[in-house]
Amino acid sequence: MLSVKIKDTVFKNPILTASGTFGYGDEVGKFIDIEKLGGVVTKSVTLHPREGNPQPRIAETSSGMLNSIGLANLGVEEYCTSKLPYLNQLDTNFIINIAGYAIEDYVKTLQILESNNGSHSGYEINISCPNVKQGGMEFGVDPIMTEKLTKELRKHTNKILIMKLSPNVTKIEDIAKASEIGGADCISAINTLVGMGIDVKTRKPKINTVYGGLSGPAIKPIALANVHKIYKAISIPIIGLGGIQSAEDIVEFILAGADLIQIGTLNYKEPGIGVRLVSDLENYLHANNINSIADLKGNLNI
Amino acid sequence: MQSNIFQEQAKVVSTKQIADNTFETTLFSPDISGHVKPGQFINILPSNNWSYMMRRPMSVASQNSDCISIIYKVVGEGTRLMKGWSENQVVDILGPLGNFWTGYNEYEPILIGGGVGIAPIINLKNHLDSLSINCNLIMGSRTKNEHFLNHDPENGIYMTTDDGSLGIHGTVIDGLRLIHSNNNKQKIFACGPPGMMEAVKFFSDDNNVICDLAIETIMACGFGICQGCTVELNNTDTKKTSYRAKYALGCIDGPIFRAKDIKTCYL
Repeated sequence: MLSVKIKDTVFKNPILTASGTFGYGDEVGKFIDIEKLGGVVTKSVTLHPREGNPQPRIAETSSGMLNSIGLANLGVEEYCTSKLPYLNQLDTNFIINIAGYAIEDYVKTLQILESNNGSHSGYEINISCPNVKQGGMEFGVDPIMTEKLTKELRKHTNKILIMKLSPNVTKIEDIAKASEIGGADCISAINTLVGMGIDVKTRKPKINTVYGGLSGPAIKPIALANVHKIYKAISIPIIGLGGIQSAEDIVEFILAGADLIQIGTLNYKEPGIGVRLVSDLENYLHANNINSIADLKGNLNI
Repeated sequence: MQSNIFQEQAKVVSTKQIADNTFETTLFSPDISGHVKPGQFINILPSNNWSYMMRRPMSVASQNSDCISIIYKVVGEGTRLMKGWSENQVVDILGPLGNFWTGYNEYEPILIGGGVGIAPIINLKNHLDSLSINCNLIMGSRTKNEHFLNHDPENGIYMTTDDGSLGIHGTVIDGLRLIHSNNNKQKIFACGPPGMMEAVKFFSDDNNVICDLAIETIMACGFGICQGCTVELNNTDTKKTSYRAKYALGCIDGPIFRAKDIKTCYL
């Protein structure tokens, strides 16, 4: 009823956690049964460790939050030794999110992960981090660069290759198309929107890097519109994300054209929200006599 | 350090006003109270309809086998809702989180609290009393209405007020100067507003007193996921970029840090 197949991988339900909002799974796994999730997407990993941006890195906004973490992470070597063993034994799928500065960084990081025999289902490629000078955004705003990067990564893996797109572009469907042509199996949309907050007492920006990435329910309508535009433009599967906090939100994303969804910012408020929404979604389908979640994809009355 | 974290549906036992705009709420939370150590904190969902993305992190101010309490000033939407919690209301809390006070056995502890930072200090004081460990306690505030303890120097309890309306006229540093001796046996445990903490840090650096500070940060998750709650450390190896060596996380590397290890208390 809830299962979805992407390439050769079966996801027991369409609910994944969004990169950067669920760590490496082991932290939440201590007190939440994360194996009930369709999958976990781990925090962006880069070729070398990154210390990230100075504080303040986060700020609350109406129905959302701003962040500028700066891709702080332990680096791919440490990821393989200290995080993969835990993730490998999980009875659910996990997807490794990779960030980089140049094509070689992405490729090297992916090659190291490939050589470590992880049981991961695939890779989500972050070409859309708005918070670091070279966070992959030069790829994410340019269809030619996106296609080139996707093609290069495709050569090195048979696992699911997902490109995670930025909404901070003129036509997101062009980037999605370029990913599809480049050989991607799937698109994730959307990453955060560029936003700003100001402390009127100090007249300082609320985020050290002045601008940060806006996430949460505030961006859900924008995310839905982007998913729908992408759905009309391509034929590969889509993972929708942006402020999801209920089973109805999930259904909206699937009607807009998504196959899977991710829960992001809401994990901070309720670490077990993904697990809760698995049963909420099941109840929703029962109550509405829907046999399979896949039947809803793009099934919009316009 | 965090082997046991619980997302617990705690029950409100009582809320009482203990000082000017300062409230103490006791929660029935057997899972968390059974595991929490002085210095640790919980992350609170102020209501089921909370439309904000962040819980409100607060240090545990007292604990017994079934209950914990928190102390807070009403400053915004979250604390306004918390003050209005009714008896037996169920509230969603996450904890125990973070590291905890250590090293009080090997030293003569000096406990310093200020503002809403008194909570983890009160909990430590209770803990030391239960272990019959003698300590000095200094509490700072602007004026006497903000205090809820008596100035009792004979028992090592010192209140300070900026306006001189209770106890020592001055700041916690004036109290600290009275108690401090150069015997190398003292250790400071402090929590309070950034200005107070910076002054305590400066005093401890200057006088070579070992000092642990519980630092308040802007925090979302509370258990190492969001990476928002950074505390900048005095990292001497600046050439090498590494994860969490320069920016430690307030929630899992802290909230308690050795004063000499952190760059600033102003976050």
